[in-house]
Amino acid sequence: MTTGYATRGADAVVSEAQRQEALDELGILDTAPEERFDRITRMAARIFGTRSSAISFIDRDRQWLKSVVGEVDREKRRSDAFCDTVVRERDTLVVPDASADPRFKHNPFVEGDPGLRFYAGHPLEAPGGEPVGSFCVFGPEPRTMTDDDIRLLRDFAGWVQDELWASEELDRAAEVQRGLLPKEPIRPPGYDVAARCLPARVVGGDFYSWQETPGGAAFTIGDVMGKGLSAAIIAATVRGVFLGTGVQGDIVAMATAAADVLQPDLEEAGSFVTMLHARLDAASGDLRYLDSGHGLGLIVRADGSTERLFSVNPPLGIDLGIPLIARHTTIGPGDAFVAVSDGVLDLFDGTLTGLEEVAAIVRRGPDAQAAVDGILALTPRRAADDVTVVIVRRRG
Amino acid sequence: MEYTVKDLGGGVAVLHLDGRLNMTSAARLREAVTSTVANGHPRIAVDLANVDFMDSSGLGALISGLKTARQAGGDLRIAAPSEQVKLVLQLTNMERVLLAHERAETAFSG
Repeated sequence: MTTGYATRGADAVVSEAQRQEALDELGILDTAPEERFDRITRMAARIFGTRSSAISFIDRDRQWLKSVVGEVDREKRRSDAFCDTVVRERDTLVVPDASADPRFKHNPFVEGDPGLRFYAGHPLEAPGGEPVGSFCVFGPEPRTMTDDDIRLLRDFAGWVQDELWASEELDRAAEVQRGLLPKEPIRPPGYDVAARCLPARVVGGDFYSWQETPGGAAFTIGDVMGKGLSAAIIAATVRGVFLGTGVQGDIVAMATAAADVLQPDLEEAGSFVTMLHARLDAASGDLRYLDSGHGLGLIVRADGSTERLFSVNPPLGIDLGIPLIARHTTIGPGDAFVAVSDGVLDLFDGTLTGLEEVAAIVRRGPDAQAAVDGILALTPRRAADDVTVVIVRRRG
Repeated sequence: MEYTVKDLGGGVAVLHLDGRLNMTSAARLREAVTSTVANGHPRIAVDLANVDFMDSSGLGALISGLKTARQAGGDLRIAAPSEQVKLVLQLTNMERVLLAHERAETAFSG
């Protein structure tokens, strides 16, 4: 069976299957109550002076309430739901007195408990325009709605929709950002590599990437100023520029070219990025690297010592007009190259002592993945900053 | 973060900051520097004695303030950074760009 929904002002029809899919994609069903929605229903019930207000979604054969004011079950049969009429008609529904309305007077919630009389609802749409639910106010006393009241109701519905979409858009952004991290593991012969990037918010400004090179691999770790969505947009740009610049030529020439490309964008955004880029020659263990204000690269030696990688260049986006400087070191058998973001220091006491703790975890082994897991296990449920770890370990 | 501006005369002002210099307060610091420069004080000493925490956004605001001051023919100097602030400056190699002075009041004298 196909139920059609006419789009407002257009002839496009949304099938029930499309509608259901759009609702499922929102990922809102059966989630916990959230203050950002609850404050809207509280405010609406107060302003309209109704006993109840609800944010409801029409799911297959049931109605489910994300937020509700008043003694109302969160779930009921779809066929009994006023909100289903709002969704099907895709328009504001005002029922001043349900007991006098032939469409609703035999509804169990009108005939029986709680003796519903007044209902006003406006559709909630998914980002694609599919009607998925209703924002409504209702109660046991008959009531009329002025034109101003209806405008206000629509404003409330618009607010709810914004909240609904904002989280959906962010979730999608998070998915896209996760997709920008390396998908394939990299295994230069004789090494094992593991990494992880955990944003403090839904998305973040940390990133890492790796690429195979003729004799080994290239690794990049970056940390964009700030957190959240704006940092994530910059992070994606920086990653793209670095991957696009290639790993064949001279590391200084390549980093300089990338920095020049990024400079105007970073300046415009008032942002900067700290970055450590390193290229490994697998056979010799030679690691040529360039640190731009990142300062958190280590070589954890098999002999028990730890070396911090040299850092002298400013972050990308801060052009001091001086040439970039690269260095190199050697990863010997049993040694590990470790790069972290500054969020990792916050997992310890916030000082450089944290790097010693990181080195100790890396030494405990047995492999790169175990060390990454060991460090990430220290992340609190709500980390203050993005946390990223890259570990490249040469087998002993 | 709260701030107060003290006019030292000769186009020099001290910006006393109090609180955390992070993503939330960074915009306030940028505005504070811009308006202090616009009010005829292109030489600004930012007193960080009461800033116990600064993140990368805070550093970004200091760097943008430095740019604003220099464009107006002045300079921005910092004073009395905490250990945590010093670490952020060291890691980013910015400690030579934002030289730390002992006291804000004397950052532009001698």
